[in-house]
Amino acid sequence: MDRVHTNAQHGVLTATTMNSRVSYRRQRVLVGHRGFAPEQVSESVHGVAVGPDGAIHVVGDSRVVVLSPDDQRLRSWAAARPGYSLAVAADGSVYVGEEGQVELFDRAGKRHDVWRDAQRFGLVTAIGLFDEGVVVADVRDRCLRRCDRAGRVLNNIGKDNKMKGFLVPNRHLDFAIDREKVLHVCNPGKHRVERYTVDGKLLGHFGRFTGSDPAGFSGCCNPTNIALTPNEHVVVTEKAGPRAKLYDAQGKLLALIGEGDFDLSCKNMDVAVDGEGRVYVVDTVRLQLCVYTAVETGNTTKPTRPPASQEVSP
Amino acid sequence: MSDKPTRREILGHAVRGATLVGLGGAATYLLTKSGKEGTWKLNPEACVNSRLGAVGVDVCERCATSCVLALSAVRAVNDHDKCGRCYICPAYFDVQSAITPEGLPSQKLCPRDAIDRKPIGDIDPDDPANNYYEYTIDERLCNGCGRCVMACKEPAGLTSIRLEVRHDLCLDCNRCAIAMDCPDDAYDRSPVS
Amino acid sequence: MIEDSNVRGCEHTRSWRERRARRGTWVGLVCVVALLLPAAPALGQYERPVDAAPAAEDIGEDYAVPVVQVHPPRAAWRELVDVIVLGGALGLAAWIVHWRRSRRALVALTIGCIAYFGFHRQGCVCPIGAIQNVTVALVDSQYAISYFAVAIFFLPLVLAVLFGRVFCAGVCPLGAIQELVLLHPLRVPRRTDRLLGLLKWVYLVAAIGFAARTAVDRDFIICRFDPFVGFFRFAGPLHMLLIGGGLLLVGVFIGRPYCRYFCPYGAILSLLSRVSWRRVTITPDKELDCGLCAEACPYGAIKDLRAERSTCLACARCFDYCPRHRIRTTGGRAPEAAVSPGKES
Repeated sequence: MDRVHTNAQHGVLTATTMNSRVSYRRQRVLVGHRGFAPEQVSESVHGVAVGPDGAIHVVGDSRVVVLSPDDQRLRSWAAARPGYSLAVAADGSVYVGEEGQVELFDRAGKRHDVWRDAQRFGLVTAIGLFDEGVVVADVRDRCLRRCDRAGRVLNNIGKDNKMKGFLVPNRHLDFAIDREKVLHVCNPGKHRVERYTVDGKLLGHFGRFTGSDPAGFSGCCNPTNIALTPNEHVVVTEKAGPRAKLYDAQGKLLALIGEGDFDLSCKNMDVAVDGEGRVYVVDTVRLQLCVYTAVETGNTTKPTRPPASQEVSP
Repeated sequence: MSDKPTRREILGHAVRGATLVGLGGAATYLLTKSGKEGTWKLNPEACVNSRLGAVGVDVCERCATSCVLALSAVRAVNDHDKCGRCYICPAYFDVQSAITPEGLPSQKLCPRDAIDRKPIGDIDPDDPANNYYEYTIDERLCNGCGRCVMACKEPAGLTSIRLEVRHDLCLDCNRCAIAMDCPDDAYDRSPVS
Repeated sequence: MIEDSNVRGCEHTRSWRERRARRGTWVGLVCVVALLLPAAPALGQYERPVDAAPAAEDIGEDYAVPVVQVHPPRAAWRELVDVIVLGGALGLAAWIVHWRRSRRALVALTIGCIAYFGFHRQGCVCPIGAIQNVTVALVDSQYAISYFAVAIFFLPLVLAVLFGRVFCAGVCPLGAIQELVLLHPLRVPRRTDRLLGLLKWVYLVAAIGFAARTAVDRDFIICRFDPFVGFFRFAGPLHMLLIGGGLLLVGVFIGRPYCRYFCPYGAILSLLSRVSWRRVTITPDKELDCGLCAEACPYGAIKDLRAERSTCLACARCFDYCPRHRIRTTGGRAPEAAVSPGKES
């Protein structure tokens, strides 16, 4: 069982395990702006993804906003409908999941295609890209759909069980796709992360309901969102006790991220990891992006303090 | 004893008449401002137990303790149209309690055990987690303490449980003791539509 | 196109999903419009779920979502009935006191009114408390007083202008319950009685004062310290039951202490009954000035051998002391043994 030390003040946590000590320090907060100018989101932030050049794409309200890692606003554009998810391809094109459709934009923000299907794209809360196609998560139908690059649905994933889909009381179905085209899907009602092939075959799962023990998941539906790190570790976010957690591929808890950093009412906090392993977590209430970097703490459990200049009051 | 009314009597009649006119006028004026008698209602947007954003605060149990009746007229009600029917309900279970070997929390949240949990639909006998569950609150036991309301509130749950004044039990006091005690002024006596 | 068999299987629910999707599209459009509106208040940060519950089709096996029971409040026509009953009781009391002149009939009415207004309606809303509602209606333009409260406030007042305090006679449940426990009435010295009677006015002013405050500070103190409603409900806070019990205990010896010394509505009635059209006369016809009625009133309302309009509670106890009344009731036969003053008839 992992012993966990907390320092609630600074959001730094250390999970001491047998072999490694890794902790996450909040590096900076990219402040969302509550406002009504065209570059700002005012009501919600639903999705975050990191582009191939490290640019951070955020979708909120009906806008996509692209930030540089040092919080410069690079560009933003409007989507036709409120966006619930987004994914960035290797060439920088952006897929935005909405209600009833998926919109495709090029890297400059010009829309070049839309896949409209009210039944199969009921509410797209996650998008994953792989070489031959695209997988979208439809929370209305509680399953994933694998599509080809033209947007045609080829098969469902996760529907072939007794509950006819994933159990998603929190109305946000999220998944991540790794290099081997394995889908890591959050099944919040069952308190676990499941792995599927893109053809829909269940490969395995980890996690269980553990109440107050952070090694597993608690509440009625956790984890809510998921992302993969470059070394194939899994980052998930939780609600009702909002935080992010880092697991290895076998489901062993490695670190708690951001405990106490988020507004307590946060729900369905999207998460993304860039090429250097920095973790971006959305605070859906304050409309902020919290950035966490891994810090090797060596032999000491002394928490590191973020520089005062970068501390942002909520 | 004479038949002719005395000055005093006339004065008496005049005063009486004026008083009656005054009363009638006041009554008429008030009737123009009046409406149908309302009943006490709890506003879930104000009550701290159900108000979104009030997370991590203590449950306010005054609806259960302040009512003049021995068993309060306020009940928790689960709106089945909004209930997620989860296997592990944070309002039914105390999700912080120890886990039983079957993987469920060992303690229930309701101090009076008023919530009933039963699997519904196509029941899977092998894996209980593969079922939907219906949660109903027994109104004979519930005293309106509000713990389940707070536990079901977003983000932990789906806010399907709310506190409601049950009109078949409520005495409709002119001065509602709960309304006076409520720290959030969540009680209102507007007419029911 | 490769289609999973499950996808085909879902098509039977397509029309339902079509409807939901179409409705969902409208919801989405409304969301977009709403998002463009100016700043939401602080509560607007938090979103309530939409379409969160698994539908009956998802659950399967012909599951029907149970309907949450809604209990409607008391029907409006019942309030009309209450007003009519109140008017009828007041008229009946007036008739009994002024024409029928029978203590027994009044006791019967008293018991009936305790049963109806006391235990059935549980003593709330009452005309005494309605003082507060009327006060709020006069000072607060947002407050909509109910028709019922207006009716029950003014009806006894109108009857008082016509017939005296017939409301106190046998209709008011608070007075009625005190009437029934009066077993051994003691005389209160006049001065003390008058002085204590001023407390009614203090209470009235205080009640109006507290009711006239703004909504957050407003308190209905008449209801808060209602002595007897706890008994009618068989439940109540301790202070209410103690006050009520204490008053009833005192009321065994000192007649109707709440009515004479504390009731704010009684203060108003005492004022209005001074101009009443019919006054309570102890004698049914001639005034003999024989003095037999001097000690007849347990409430000290007989002054100079006449019933004092403002303090007479029309309880009809004094009638039996009058020889003219006895002649009338016995129809000219030999009068019965005189009832000695100080004992209850």
